[in-house]
Amino acid sequence: MPAVQVENLVKTYGDGTQAVKGISFKVDEGEFFGFLGPNGAGKSTTIKILTTLLRKTSGLANVAGHDIEHDAQNVRKLIGVQMQDTVIDEDLTGRENLILQGHLHQMHGEVLKERVNTLLKIVDLEDAADKRSAYYSGGMKKRLDLASTLVHRPKILFLDEPTTGLDPQSRATVWSYLKELNQEGITIFITTQYLEEVDRLCRRLAILDHGEIVAQGSPSELKSEIGADRITLGFENGNPEAGALKDKAKQLLVNLGGITEIVDSDEGIVIYAKNGGFLVPDIVRAFDGAGIKLASIGVSSPTLDDVFLKHTGRRIRPEEIDKSRASGMFGRRRR
Amino acid sequence: MTFISDTYYMFLRWMKKLVRNPILLFFSLFQPIIFLLLFTQLFSSFGVLLGVNYTLFATAGIVLQNAFSSAFQSGTAIVDDIKSGFLAKILATPASRASILLGRLLSDAFRVFAQSLIILVLAYGLGVFPATGILGYILILVTVAFFGLAWSGISLALGLRTKSAETVFGIAGTLTFPLLFMSTALMKPALMPAWMQSVSAYNPISFAVNAIRDLIMTGYVWNSFSQAYGVISLIAVLTLGATLYEFRKVVS
Repeated sequence: MPAVQVENLVKTYGDGTQAVKGISFKVDEGEFFGFLGPNGAGKSTTIKILTTLLRKTSGLANVAGHDIEHDAQNVRKLIGVQMQDTVIDEDLTGRENLILQGHLHQMHGEVLKERVNTLLKIVDLEDAADKRSAYYSGGMKKRLDLASTLVHRPKILFLDEPTTGLDPQSRATVWSYLKELNQEGITIFITTQYLEEVDRLCRRLAILDHGEIVAQGSPSELKSEIGADRITLGFENGNPEAGALKDKAKQLLVNLGGITEIVDSDEGIVIYAKNGGFLVPDIVRAFDGAGIKLASIGVSSPTLDDVFLKHTGRRIRPEEIDKSRASGMFGRRRR
Repeated sequence: MTFISDTYYMFLRWMKKLVRNPILLFFSLFQPIIFLLLFTQLFSSFGVLLGVNYTLFATAGIVLQNAFSSAFQSGTAIVDDIKSGFLAKILATPASRASILLGRLLSDAFRVFAQSLIILVLAYGLGVFPATGILGYILILVTVAFFGLAWSGISLALGLRTKSAETVFGIAGTLTFPLLFMSTALMKPALMPAWMQSVSAYNPISFAVNAIRDLIMTGYVWNSFSQAYGVISLIAVLTLGATLYEFRKVVS
């Protein structure tokens, strides 16, 4: 039984905007599933529908084996949801936030108390547990938020940009929690702009653009579809004849053959070619013969960044997310 | 029954939030005290005109006035929850939908209950003791809390509809004084201009004020008491209906 099964899911808002245009995908139990796409692609809308916060227009969706519309209550019992913005009650302490979540999931007494203690330990908030969460740092709030989605031991965790706006260290901490949770068997459904982590952790991913799924598969499948390696050639800095040198080099490369694309870059030249590794000796030989000195040469396989670019025509720049981030469930956070 | 426990946890959350915001707590306690002292002093000579002890006469009005303006804070609280995403977070749990609203409404009712108790204690210091005694006190507090709960519904519905705390405050501020002064809260209808007498006769605040005033000044008057409960129940049904309607829209 898949953890999430979506067929022809459509969401049309009241003003006629079609946010999701009939998407279909499946997430297996225990999978770490990445749901990527540019801002406004329909990711948050899809998550809100799957987590029963928004009504779909048409199509079918099952989460944890339950229909999201007719069996919403059972879906809610089995999922944990982390929103784009950090959502905690800042008037309550960390512990009280977790206990409230437990209570709303029908957990009580010693069982709940122990569960909360364990979670506080896991997210490293034991010392601050009984302080008002208003006084927590951004990273602590985010960790508390994450912990609050885990109190009832959800089978599936939905995360909408869980690391956006965090400093690199907190970000790394959150990712390592997610990895551990997944290893414990929790299915993870995540939207994020951090492609390196997606590449490292996600078993499969789907790319959404303009409300449609434009690609899905494992990171390596999607990367191999690009069909070319990237070779980066760097020239010596401060060479007055750099321009002429580049032109000469490009001419040599064209003559070599087997190259898909040649692009100028700040450091030198970027070449896309099939089996790039085999081309390197030829390039070196040709340049050597022509007396062109190379400062560096590097071969890399395509990255998810290249995949994303290919399918959406855009690059993801995580540092810009904070500024242009779409609004949360019902709008932006006040504080 | 998870509905009852969910409501209790929601109620508890609001009570904690109230107690932990000293400024909010201070003003919600300060307001009734100011009303009592200010109005009864300012208008004390009305007592001569009306042929009654004005403090005794106005206590009912002030208790209701306080409940009325206090009830309007409900909507701003729900706006905060909508904006912060906390409402969505709760909606993603199996918590009973109705308990989310009821928990808030009960916390409003409880706050009005506590504020009214403070007013009555102070009023006692000013020589006000209900003709109906201790049972009268209980009836007054329960009636006011019910009144507060009914009016909280309007503010909740407005908050859910406009999602703007400023709008809720603005509407509350505009409504409070006309409704208060065009009721029997601070003045006998006999001394009002004719048109205002008719407004006052239909003003829902008047019904609640009359019932409580009777408990304080006269004794058990079944007529005013049943009318007050009829009117408050009607308001409660209307405002809570509107709240549920707006809530459904937000939830889907």
